[in-house]
Amino acid sequence: MPVWLREYRWRQSAAAVFLSLPLPPRRASAASIFCTEQYLKVSIPPFLFEAVLYAPIDDTSSTAKIENGNIFFTLYKKETGMWDSLMMENANKEKLQYVRENAVLKAQEKAKEEAEAKKVTKREHDKYALEATMKLEEAERKRIENLKEQERQKVTRELELWKNEQTYMEGQMRIQREEKLHQEVEQLKEKKKEKITKPTIPNEGTSKITVKPTKGYPSSNSMFSENLKEEQLPAPRSAGTIKINFTSRVFPTALRESRVAEEEEWLNKQAEARRTINDDLAELKDLKEEEKNPDWLKDKGNKMFATGNYLAAVNAYNLAVRLNNKLPVLYLNRAACHLKLRNLHKAIEDSSKALELLTPPVPDNKNARIKAHVRRGTAFCQLELYAEGLQDYEAALKIDPKNSTIEKDAEKIRCIIQGTSQDL
Amino acid sequence: MSAAALERPQLVAHAQHALSYTAFECKWVPRSARLLCLGSAPRGTGLLQLYELRGGRLALLREIEKAKPLKCGTFGATSLQQRYLATGDFGGNLNIWNLEAPEIPVYSVKAHKEIVNSIDGVGGLGIGEGAPEIVTGSRDGTVKVWDARQKDSPVANMEPVEGESKRDCWTVAFGNAYNQEERVVCAGYDNGDIKLFDLKTMSLRWETNIKNGVCSLEFDRKDINMNKLVATSLEGKFHVFDMRTQHPTKGFASVSEKAHKSTMWQVRHLPQNRDIFMTSGGAGSLHLWKYEYPAQRSKKDSEGAEMGVAGSVSLLQNVTLSTQPISSLDWSPDKKGLCVCTAFDQTVRVLIVTKLNKV
Repeated sequence: MPVWLREYRWRQSAAAVFLSLPLPPRRASAASIFCTEQYLKVSIPPFLFEAVLYAPIDDTSSTAKIENGNIFFTLYKKETGMWDSLMMENANKEKLQYVRENAVLKAQEKAKEEAEAKKVTKREHDKYALEATMKLEEAERKRIENLKEQERQKVTRELELWKNEQTYMEGQMRIQREEKLHQEVEQLKEKKKEKITKPTIPNEGTSKITVKPTKGYPSSNSMFSENLKEEQLPAPRSAGTIKINFTSRVFPTALRESRVAEEEEWLNKQAEARRTINDDLAELKDLKEEEKNPDWLKDKGNKMFATGNYLAAVNAYNLAVRLNNKLPVLYLNRAACHLKLRNLHKAIEDSSKALELLTPPVPDNKNARIKAHVRRGTAFCQLELYAEGLQDYEAALKIDPKNSTIEKDAEKIRCIIQGTSQDL
Repeated sequence: MSAAALERPQLVAHAQHALSYTAFECKWVPRSARLLCLGSAPRGTGLLQLYELRGGRLALLREIEKAKPLKCGTFGATSLQQRYLATGDFGGNLNIWNLEAPEIPVYSVKAHKEIVNSIDGVGGLGIGEGAPEIVTGSRDGTVKVWDARQKDSPVANMEPVEGESKRDCWTVAFGNAYNQEERVVCAGYDNGDIKLFDLKTMSLRWETNIKNGVCSLEFDRKDINMNKLVATSLEGKFHVFDMRTQHPTKGFASVSEKAHKSTMWQVRHLPQNRDIFMTSGGAGSLHLWKYEYPAQRSKKDSEGAEMGVAGSVSLLQNVTLSTQPISSLDWSPDKKGLCVCTAFDQTVRVLIVTKLNKV
């Protein structure tokens, strides 16, 4: 229940009402003021002041000032006139409630409208900013385009000039050629004439070559020198053949840098396969047909394990692995043999190899993986590396949480570990 | 795009023309504003078109059709007066044409058993000394050098040893033709082999393998002592070899760059500046590069033998013109910065590279 603030003082003029509300001490800052056209509320929890005003006021221009522990309200009346009292008389509860709700609604609407207006102005500002940037960028682009265009035009003009020069020069060359021909014809005529008359200067014939058209274009000189050059060209080369070899390559296709990695891989695989075949071929020539089958060898090994002949079992598995080193079951079984033979390191190696081959871990090879972990764990424990052993047992448990034997063994190991650590 | 970026050479597209056939090669006709495009028409015949640059457009002057599609051509072995075009076609024939009278070739020979992939000429156009010769490289794995004065048989033949499986020769280039006797042919094969043949001693001078098929080879100048050799290959790599110092075992020093992210089809050096070259790529882009020499071009190795030192290459500019590979590129020998390129999207484009004087 709020505490009502009832002390207030007010005075009025024709256009405004001045209300002064003393605040409870030390609460000035937390005041929240809510004001609509006809309703004024000041709430400082738990204090509350509420007034349904006599007449409507203009709440947008009215002000409130908090000073010296008082709130001073300056409320501008909508209609000028003196009020009989600050609050409305005969305010029954229902009316009050109605006014309150109305006020709240009105305030909300107003807030909404304001938000809308704000949004609209913001949008317009954004649009304006965007247009401005676009204009700037456009101007920049145009400037660059203009520069480029100018360059292009300049270059085109130069080209035209050069081209005209070329055609002019070609025309000149043609004219010269014709002139030269003409001159030669003239000289021939002259010579004929001279033959008829008496040749007085024997040198005239030889000087024919030195007569050149006096339009000293460099090209004309080259024309003559070119003729001379032709006579000085060396004879065609004496024929010869050079035999070449190409870089040797395994593949029939041409070498490509991006393919080198793939090709290396392929070659390695081939080399490996060939190596295994070669090894086997060398030593297994005298084995029977069935003894070359890894599965048959595995079965043989299993049988010997069952009868307790562990060394023979290991031999069988060794041979099987030589033939096919990608079967995890061979390593698993060999690990078991090694455990029985107390070759603990070998057992660990084989279990590890088996686990490697048993990736990816799927439900199908669950059993195999459990066995691998258990065997490796046992080997570790027998080597007194209990921590590693526990790791393996826990891995096995993770694969199959319901196996009680594994759980019991794991518990045992944990005790041993704790026992040893306590001893230390 | 900053002001500094605009100071670099710009590749300005000047003119573009759509073709109705696949053009494999484009070449400027020396001493003129005309260019040549040759290729394969849809009906399986060869087409040769002569264009002239007029205003901002290419105007077709002549169109010549031949029996077999044409793959490559060069003006390198003719005189400036005659300007005969040597072409290699899909049938393995080498022909030299007089473009004024193209019905009958001036010289014709069945050079190879399979398509002539690449052709180069030296000794003509007033460049270099010695007899004009043409070299062709073909899919049958052989590289042959021809002289227009000797009919039917090549003056040099580089072929695989008997019984050896052959590799396609994709590109050939002449070099080192600084006097009348010296000449060198460099050939690139599809398995990444680059072989340098010395024609004076008729022997293999150097070979190496750059691990990816060699699409294009060019010496920076044919008529000087071998200076630089650029080899472009598949998988977007190119190598620049410094050819001045040959080490007895390590060969020539090189620097390589990766660009274009696809096959680099062509490399062409600017005729007016031998340290600038342009490469064209399979994604339709052109890159303009500049080679910088190292402080010392050769040094001694541990045994005291001279070893070359490769410099560095920097990218000046690049532009993407098309989505299809740009198969051929040629600089104009008369106007610095003018170049033409053809792409497999059946267009021929003329570009101008600006600001090459300031590089």
